[in-house]
Amino acid sequence: MDEGPPPAGRSWKNTLQKLRGRFKPEKNAAEVRVRRRRAMIQKLHQRLPFLKVLLFLVGYLWMVAIPYPDLGRTTYIDENALQPAQVSTYWDWADVHNADRYLDDLERLGDRNASSAELSEFVKTEFQKSGLPAATQKYTFSVGSTNVTGVNAYAVSSSPRASGNEAIVISASWIRRHEGGPTELNLRGVSAILALAKYLKGHSMWAKDLVFVVSDGYLDGMQAWLGSYHGSKQNNLQAEELLYASGVIWNALSIDYACHSFSHLGVFHEGLNGRLPNQDLINSFERISRFTGGVPVVLYDHAKNVVRHVGYQGPGRPSGIHGLFHPYRIDAFTIYAVCAQGPHGFHALGRVVESTLRTMNNLLERLHASFFFYILTDATYFNKIGSYLPSAILVSVGMMFHGLDIWVMSGWRLEEQPSEKVSSSSQERGWVSRQRPVLHALTIMMATHILGALVFGSLSLDNWQTLAPILFAVVAVVPLAALLLRSRHHSETAPVSTVLKALNLCFASTIISVISVLNFSLALLLAIALGIPLAISTPSSRLVQYPAYILLAAGWLLFLPEQTQSALWNWEVLSVWFAPVAAVVTLLPM
Amino acid sequence: MTMTSNLMLFSLLLLNVVSLCFAEEFFDEKLTVRPLKDGKVASTLAFTTILKNASPRSPQKLHQDDDSQQYTLFPLALGQIIREYGVTEMHLSLNAGKWNYDAWGQPVEPGVGTGAELWAWIGDGALESVDVRWKGLRNALAGLFCSSLGQLDDLRTTSPVDVFLPEGSLPSSDTQQLRHASHPSENVCTENLTPFIKLLPCKSSAGLASLLNPHKLFDANWHGMGDEGVEVRLSFQVVSDPLRSPLATKQDWSFSTLFDRTVERSCPAARSSVVEVSLPRNSPYSISPEPTAAEEAQARYNVQAMAKPVDVSMKWLHEFQRLNAQQNESPATPLSIQRTLKEWSQSRGELSAAITNHGAYPVQAIYLETMPWIVQFYLHTLTATVDGEAQPSAISNLSYIPAMPHSRPTTFHVLLTIPAKSTLRLSMDVTKAFLRYTEHPPDAQRGWDLPPAIIYPLGLDSQPSRMYTPTLLVDLATPDFSMPYNVIIFTCTLVAFIFGNIFNFLTRKFVVVSLRDLPKERND
Repeated sequence: MDEGPPPAGRSWKNTLQKLRGRFKPEKNAAEVRVRRRRAMIQKLHQRLPFLKVLLFLVGYLWMVAIPYPDLGRTTYIDENALQPAQVSTYWDWADVHNADRYLDDLERLGDRNASSAELSEFVKTEFQKSGLPAATQKYTFSVGSTNVTGVNAYAVSSSPRASGNEAIVISASWIRRHEGGPTELNLRGVSAILALAKYLKGHSMWAKDLVFVVSDGYLDGMQAWLGSYHGSKQNNLQAEELLYASGVIWNALSIDYACHSFSHLGVFHEGLNGRLPNQDLINSFERISRFTGGVPVVLYDHAKNVVRHVGYQGPGRPSGIHGLFHPYRIDAFTIYAVCAQGPHGFHALGRVVESTLRTMNNLLERLHASFFFYILTDATYFNKIGSYLPSAILVSVGMMFHGLDIWVMSGWRLEEQPSEKVSSSSQERGWVSRQRPVLHALTIMMATHILGALVFGSLSLDNWQTLAPILFAVVAVVPLAALLLRSRHHSETAPVSTVLKALNLCFASTIISVISVLNFSLALLLAIALGIPLAISTPSSRLVQYPAYILLAAGWLLFLPEQTQSALWNWEVLSVWFAPVAAVVTLLPM
Repeated sequence: MTMTSNLMLFSLLLLNVVSLCFAEEFFDEKLTVRPLKDGKVASTLAFTTILKNASPRSPQKLHQDDDSQQYTLFPLALGQIIREYGVTEMHLSLNAGKWNYDAWGQPVEPGVGTGAELWAWIGDGALESVDVRWKGLRNALAGLFCSSLGQLDDLRTTSPVDVFLPEGSLPSSDTQQLRHASHPSENVCTENLTPFIKLLPCKSSAGLASLLNPHKLFDANWHGMGDEGVEVRLSFQVVSDPLRSPLATKQDWSFSTLFDRTVERSCPAARSSVVEVSLPRNSPYSISPEPTAAEEAQARYNVQAMAKPVDVSMKWLHEFQRLNAQQNESPATPLSIQRTLKEWSQSRGELSAAITNHGAYPVQAIYLETMPWIVQFYLHTLTATVDGEAQPSAISNLSYIPAMPHSRPTTFHVLLTIPAKSTLRLSMDVTKAFLRYTEHPPDAQRGWDLPPAIIYPLGLDSQPSRMYTPTLLVDLATPDFSMPYNVIIFTCTLVAFIFGNIFNFLTRKFVVVSLRDLPKERND
């Protein structure tokens, strides 16, 4: 278009000039940009209080809304290879009869309080009678001054025609899962394992080795077995080497069946440190149980699903022995028979387990799709990461805004008589900049963390429960030392408490955001525990407020001895990092 | 059921007149059935074609036109490959399953490592280098046997001459080089059996080869194929389990239960056709039909002379004692091996091998690892313990060719001295490679199969035989190739961007400093 008509060319040039005039005014371009930016900042600053409240409000309301099914969607199977409930099962009444005979023997052993060694020897012999290579494994954990000992029994059924590089574990613990209540023997679970071992080895379709493990105790036995299997070293554990090994374990399921019959099958899935198994596995099981076994599936044993989920995941405690598999990158869950007057028993359980194992056997790769982040609100409903993660993140963002706001404010002081020399800004004449005692604030934060570490260290002593009141007193008094730093405050520098509050808020916000993808429930609990208290804390040491904070920070020493004890046990035996993190982090509000 | 095919050919073929060869070809077939102590039954079918007065093609003459080849019994397809690449001796095995030495003893054919294994002695001195011909050989065999032998590339090729000694005599005129490679994730199935059967003179329509019924063979616990020569020996090993069903109580077997076939007619091309059955020593049994000849522990049948159809069967009087088999019987081989890779992180692991000597005398054995570069050894962490106590003197004559990333595999070769009635445990830290993203296989999350280690006992008996450990699976750090993680990455980037902006808004103050005005202010 070199010969375009002149009028058109002129108008085009005019438009260009106009445009240029708009984007490149007479004044300096940078100046305009800065002005625009400052206008935006000002607007943001004006609305910041409202924004903060809004973030907190929406965040907390969202947390409350998580259990509602409308927020989630129905479950589905993502991995095509799984093909759940597509096989004919051959588990039959003869196998149920076998399981019943095993149960008779086990009940006899249970009635006369047989020792671990006797029980494991029985299981081993029964495995061998089925033609499987089997062995036992002794182990000893030293927790404090007490020792936990036991004997595991296990058998390996090599897959025909395959290299045996991959394995599936089917396990049951001697003691069924319990939450502080009386312990109960998992006799039917163990007899189901024995009958399954005898039955499953008779088929040639297995592409993966099947490993049957009957672990002693509740969690300790499986922890020892898995540790030996994977060669992980644990200082307080002495366990025998395993005589038989198989390949890499991809999937595992454990059976928890104690009463005569069951109406539903429950799923427990939370693992150590809040790790979850791939959801495909649970979804497959749910469908198999419904269509192959005719047994409805519930989450856990009944209602209050999300609260229980947070209760397991937050502290990072496993909700069953399956949880011990998760650190080794093994997807596992527990099948829990919900006690009832009927109608189901070994027949339904066997078929469901057989079909579930066939589904696991179909896998060509590890389960790897994104199905590791979810909250099951029901056996068939779940929240995706996108529909629950923002709740904690919004609170965290609110805290961050609040912290940064305080940080900015702490650098300025409103002076009655504006002096132009000190002021750097010509517009806000009333504001005078002042120094922030960052070092003092950081020292206090560091000191509280060290205090937290010391408290945790002293809890590892044997008689910590007698020490608890003393520890509590120490924790209550020590922060007052920080007052010494506060007293040296004068108008040229900002108060230490303000800087401390700003840094604490930012730090807590960062921790919540980071933890939210590792262990959402813990992030949720931290957001609840730290969000509002940190945000509304004030430097005035009112008599009511201080004890309230101390109680929040260290009250667990006095009032929750059992929970503390179990968290400690989890740390020592299972390496759950909730206890140390809680001890170190929760002392932070001071 | 497992299938191994060992193809070994040495000193092949016709340099002379065609008619000479006609007179000198023989075909023998033999089936060996052994009841095993854990209740399973191992059968080995061996088909041998002997070609007399033949010698391998001289490497110096490879570039010249070859003499024409014409055989009556000898498989032409195989002969052409051997002569094309001037191969002196070659062994190919394709196996599925893992051979359980403790329960099954030493196999008739030693090459039982899981997956595909190919090794060949190739004469040097031709215009084309040994490596080029090795590449041609494996590609030709891949085509012949419908298997992915082409993947036995430089990443897997080693030359461990102490363990893979030639089974025939090598011609002294040329220097000979060994090439060995194994591919553990090769699956063996019907598509490999069909070309195998095509190499036999009677195919599967007559003689013992008619027992090669893929439906039953590929349902067994282990199987294998093989061949050797001036002879070409094709063999097929199977381990079947008559006790697999929980209802079965006796170890009874017959051709019909093992193969779901009987021998309907004999192969007229065969010089001999023999069935050998190992007889149990200490439990009452009956065998039918009456053997042609019976020695103390072996019954022999001459299939050609027997009334057809031939269906050899063996019945036990007593039920099989599974518990006794598990608890009381000592292992069937003097050595037991267990090799494990313990992985506790994405980048490190520990490779350990435990070798137990059940005998009353110390045993010396060569331990050989031919490891792809993806798992690299920390040789300084190598420790040897005997029954739990450190004993550095148990290992000697160590030779080690380190791996080269993205190309050469490791060759680790050590002489072990295992004291009587004790367990030697070798362990070594390993590091796992970080792959380029294009190097991951399509099923990236499965992990990588590692080839078996090989134990080569020295001086146990007159004919030492290699023992293969089971293969291993290693998990390397794998990126998640699925879509949702990309979404997470995008979202995180967006959040970081927004956060950065807001952080700036909240903590920084932007001021206009006019440089022109600045001196004025100073003047004031």
